[in-house]
Amino acid sequence: MGSTIIEKILEKASGKKVAPGDKVWAKIDLVAMRDFGGPNVILKYEKEFDDEPVFDPEKIAITFDLHIPPRQIKEAENQKICREFARKKGVKLFDINHGIGQHTLLENGLVKPYDVIIGTDSHMNLLGVAEAFSTGVGITDIVTAMRYGKLWFRVPETVKININGKPGEFVTPKDVILHLVGYFGADGLSYKSVEFYGDFIENLGLDGRITIASMVTEMDGKIGFMIPNAEVINFLKEKTGKEIKPISPDKDAEYIESYDFDISNLEPMISCPHSPDNVKAVREVEGKEIDQVFIGSCTNGRIEDLRIAAKILKGKRVKARTIITPSTTEVAKQALREGLIEVFLESGAVVTNPSCALCTIGHPGVLAKGDVTLSTSNRNYPGKIGKGGEIYLVSPATAAASAINGRITDPRDMR
Amino acid sequence: MIIKGKVIKYGDDINTDVIFPGRYLAITDPKEMAEHAMEDLDKDFLEKVKEKRIIVAGKNFGCGSSREQAATCLKYAGVEAIVAKSFARIFFRNAINQGMPVIESAEASEDIDDGDEIEIILDRGVIKNLSKGKEYNFKPLPAFIMEIIEDGGLVNHLKKSIK
Repeated sequence: MGSTIIEKILEKASGKKVAPGDKVWAKIDLVAMRDFGGPNVILKYEKEFDDEPVFDPEKIAITFDLHIPPRQIKEAENQKICREFARKKGVKLFDINHGIGQHTLLENGLVKPYDVIIGTDSHMNLLGVAEAFSTGVGITDIVTAMRYGKLWFRVPETVKININGKPGEFVTPKDVILHLVGYFGADGLSYKSVEFYGDFIENLGLDGRITIASMVTEMDGKIGFMIPNAEVINFLKEKTGKEIKPISPDKDAEYIESYDFDISNLEPMISCPHSPDNVKAVREVEGKEIDQVFIGSCTNGRIEDLRIAAKILKGKRVKARTIITPSTTEVAKQALREGLIEVFLESGAVVTNPSCALCTIGHPGVLAKGDVTLSTSNRNYPGKIGKGGEIYLVSPATAAASAINGRITDPRDMR
Repeated sequence: MIIKGKVIKYGDDINTDVIFPGRYLAITDPKEMAEHAMEDLDKDFLEKVKEKRIIVAGKNFGCGSSREQAATCLKYAGVEAIVAKSFARIFFRNAINQGMPVIESAEASEDIDDGDEIEIILDRGVIKNLSKGKEYNFKPLPAFIMEIIEDGGLVNHLKKSIK
């Protein structure tokens, strides 16, 4: 029997043939932690191993992306713990001026096919766009892997999802993945590895792939893979300075389920409070008044996301207060060069420094009780960015169109 | 490895918020964590666990927030094993990493009653219900997972095996 992508990666990492359900030791290529979670990891590491060295300083990265720059003394102290540890152990540290962790890892050439990567973030799995197996794990897992360079995993079953068709203008990868989250539900892909195929995926650039891969988490999937196309291969080659050979599954690989989606007639979609799988068409809820709009996050903070928002916002003024956060400094610089930042500022939006921004409550822009927000992020659980607030998840196009009208708006009406 | 003891029985979907309430997340000492184990589910738990050291529960034990403390507090409260119809996957992983045996058996989960005395023979995949004179089978954990459990958790296991 042949192997799927996850099986090939875990076979290389464990040095033996694997099958779904097997539990295997895998060597770790990268251990990542953040300013949130990282300090707990470091304190536990020092408690368990005192001054013992990490397995490989080159394979450990600390990314500050949540409380940057810090507003509270506790956050500043947590970052200090990380900086001191990085200095002492010689591990990589990406300080407050970089942006979202996974995107920073990609942009700094730390991710490539076959890598096994763990981190303290439930959306680590978006690195499946580079055919790396990447997953969020617990503190004990991180601490142990940092010392010994290995960790055990259960080999997931693999599901195949084919997405074909060319959607109309202002129907984006976010609408596609929201449609899937609505279809499968919050636990519909529990512990499954997903392989995405079809002409829609093949023609999709890195940014759209990141949007789709990041929200596999919201279906409880373990990871989502897309075989890199020329654009993604060139990006990875440039960043890593290495030859990139994509992983293809064997022809006789075994999939437990296979699904086909034709998205030719897909409409803009929206995930309503208070669960990501409460998905409707934007048309069903259009007209509802909103107080705030957020465009950014590891799901929708890339340059293509900012481009489509700017296309709609250009020459218009926003009625709802609007916060826009590029995912990384590299993205922010590109947006500046293309004049997008000026479009945002002219429209009345607030542009913040690259970070996770309004994905958690620990960031400027939290909601007052009763506030309604549209967000391009990936979760809308109660209290996520303020007790009593309502969060709707949408694409950057729907977010921008709705910001202008101060009401939930189908972006196709802005053409 | 054989674990013998009396059973405390719980139902389905026992979530990590009732196993270890969020208001105690700042606690770092495992013994102090144990003082709050199951506080929001069963206020008599700490009394019961003095003589009944095996938990038997329904489906999806340990669902909800991924906090590692849920497994840690049960271990330090004196729980020696958990048998359930199924486990939430993050809890399952955390429990093994803490050296807590976790056994999936629908048959045992349904048939065993509170207060029954059972014997779990981990490497053979057998649970004997000494109170009812019955036996249930389960798929044994792989050898290396058994080693992690026998060594008292992931950190201790690797410390020992790599030295």
